[in-house]
Amino acid sequence: MTDTTSVSLPHDDRPAPKKFRQRGRFTKWISVAWLIFIVFTAIGASWLPYVKHSCDQFANEDFCSTHLDTNPLLSERPPTWAFFSETTRPVVGDAPERAGFFGTDTNGFDIFSRTMFGARNSLLIGSMSIIFGILIGGTLGLIAGYVGKRVDKVIDTIMNIFLAFPALLLAIFIVGFFDSSTTSEAKSRSIVPIIIALVILSVPPIARLVRANTIVFAQREFVLAARSLGAKNARVIVREILPNVFPAMVTFAITGMAILIVAEGALAYLGLSVSAPTPTWGAMIFGGQAKLETAWWISIMPSIVLFLTVLAINLLGDALSEKFRIKEAIE
Amino acid sequence: MSTLQTAVRRETGTLLQIEDLATHFVTAGGVVRAVDGVSFSLEHGQRLGIVGESGCGKTILSRSIMGLLPRRNVIRKGSVLFEGTELTTMSLKDRQKIWGAEMAMIFQDPMTSLNPVMKIGKQLAEPLRIHLGSTRENAQEIVLKLLQDVGIPEPEKRLEQYAHELSGGMRQRIMIAMALACGPSVLFADEPTTALDVTVQAQILDLIEDQCREREMALVLVTHDLGVVAGHTDQIIVMYAGKIVEIAPTATLFSKMKMPYTEALFQSIPKLDDPSHTRLTTIGGRPPNLVAPPDGCRFSPRCPYATDTCTKVEPELQPAEPGHLFACHHPVGSDRWNEVQVSLGRRSGGH
Repeated sequence: MTDTTSVSLPHDDRPAPKKFRQRGRFTKWISVAWLIFIVFTAIGASWLPYVKHSCDQFANEDFCSTHLDTNPLLSERPPTWAFFSETTRPVVGDAPERAGFFGTDTNGFDIFSRTMFGARNSLLIGSMSIIFGILIGGTLGLIAGYVGKRVDKVIDTIMNIFLAFPALLLAIFIVGFFDSSTTSEAKSRSIVPIIIALVILSVPPIARLVRANTIVFAQREFVLAARSLGAKNARVIVREILPNVFPAMVTFAITGMAILIVAEGALAYLGLSVSAPTPTWGAMIFGGQAKLETAWWISIMPSIVLFLTVLAINLLGDALSEKFRIKEAIE
Repeated sequence: MSTLQTAVRRETGTLLQIEDLATHFVTAGGVVRAVDGVSFSLEHGQRLGIVGESGCGKTILSRSIMGLLPRRNVIRKGSVLFEGTELTTMSLKDRQKIWGAEMAMIFQDPMTSLNPVMKIGKQLAEPLRIHLGSTRENAQEIVLKLLQDVGIPEPEKRLEQYAHELSGGMRQRIMIAMALACGPSVLFADEPTTALDVTVQAQILDLIEDQCREREMALVLVTHDLGVVAGHTDQIIVMYAGKIVEIAPTATLFSKMKMPYTEALFQSIPKLDDPSHTRLTTIGGRPPNLVAPPDGCRFSPRCPYATDTCTKVEPELQPAEPGHLFACHHPVGSDRWNEVQVSLGRRSGGH
């Protein structure tokens, strides 16, 4: 028997088995590469060889270097590579590289440099909002889903009230609320009220998602098994249910962060984000709004970076959810 | 008492005393009387089988005894005395101290009763950490010993594995190990082999029996399969529609069953010496709707021997001999029973 099999199946002649290829692997790695670049730049902007402007031009000292550029750039210069039309051609005598890779804005700031510094603010706002959103929303969702009864009803009602408001209106209201209490001390708006607004926006959907997942897992037999072994409720929630809800939470958090970065942009566009001249992507896009016809690069260049980052985050989120789905299917 | 040195528990006497226990669920469709006035007792080290069709309240009974059911929309009556302590009025906090330490439960489907995202080693250590306050390090040793006890090969390797990497039988062994971890004095096994292959079933049952004997642990084996309880229990309770219809020592039940329902269950077991292509005997109809159970004897609509008395008067549990109780107006061997046997063309006393 064994002889015939080995004879009939000569290993060497058969073509190599086709390798399993996962869909969208290429885009996933491009996304990861882009995000690594953006995060790297956000963390290291101060030490990277970007053009730095004096601290007077930045509201927050963290986002500038003490090195004062002695020879300020000319304002509203197009990107170095964009001298294809009459209006965008650099002024004679102005060396192209002085204008900067992304051009300069109305104040003569280098847009590339500001975009890279802006990554720090935008990502910080996005990630802090989603982290606190997950902590608060996740806790509420777990409690509501596991305890049920009146606790669930109260939490669910509150979440529904928040969800009933138009998101942007709610955010404007919250920023305004926290702003009025701080304006007297600080002239410039810090990122804290914006983070608070975005956290409040992100809590209800996260709480609902976690609650729904918790209800599903709370009815699974392993939870009953853990309870029958004497595990207390807190232990059941933290050790049995939370690890199971975690994948859905992470997937949602990543997509949610992309949404929040855009939301910050929307707030900034309404003039409600961090005070100028501290750069965030949204604030920069807003800053160039008036000059869109003559100096398009002021708005467009940060828009492109924002777009690519959000796209990359979303693609990564999709890849992750796919992965978790496959994992769930195995079980 | 140390958990793993085979428990030197030589106690005798009553471990569990259940008196008129009832569990009713309030639903939109009415009150479901899942368990309706059940009384029995369990001795130390005794192995008890609870049999009956699906939906007869076996699972709810075992969970009611432990007190694992939610309180919402549930009506509970009766008393459960565990070593003289009333469980039904005990606070959740106190019950949690008993769960796992004194009474443990294993479930039907080992596929779903293990946490899919927790490593086996960690999961097994849970009861030890809850009840004995073990640290991760000293739990490890006990966990390895437990895995060996339940016959798992390469225990060190299993500690780092997840539930989905193991077979069904292996997972049920893990569940048993978890239940045994703190040396409980009674183990509830709720259909422990239903989800497993027939070949694995026997191994798991033998394992449960061996462990019970070794640890002098009482066993409550809930199953719908008379074949399962036959070889692994000392006493059997037959349940129908939330009530006990017959209790007897295992040997007595099989040789001198009184209740027609028990007889019907027994006849549903395919016999090896039947000629091939013999139709399986089934019990006609379905267990009754527990929202509105039939008047009189609850088995009467499906019982071949039922008379007017059966549909009007509910039979009480009555002794046939010491230790053997049944609830029937026309038990196996009675005149009515003989009459129907003859009319059906079966020989009277045909087993």
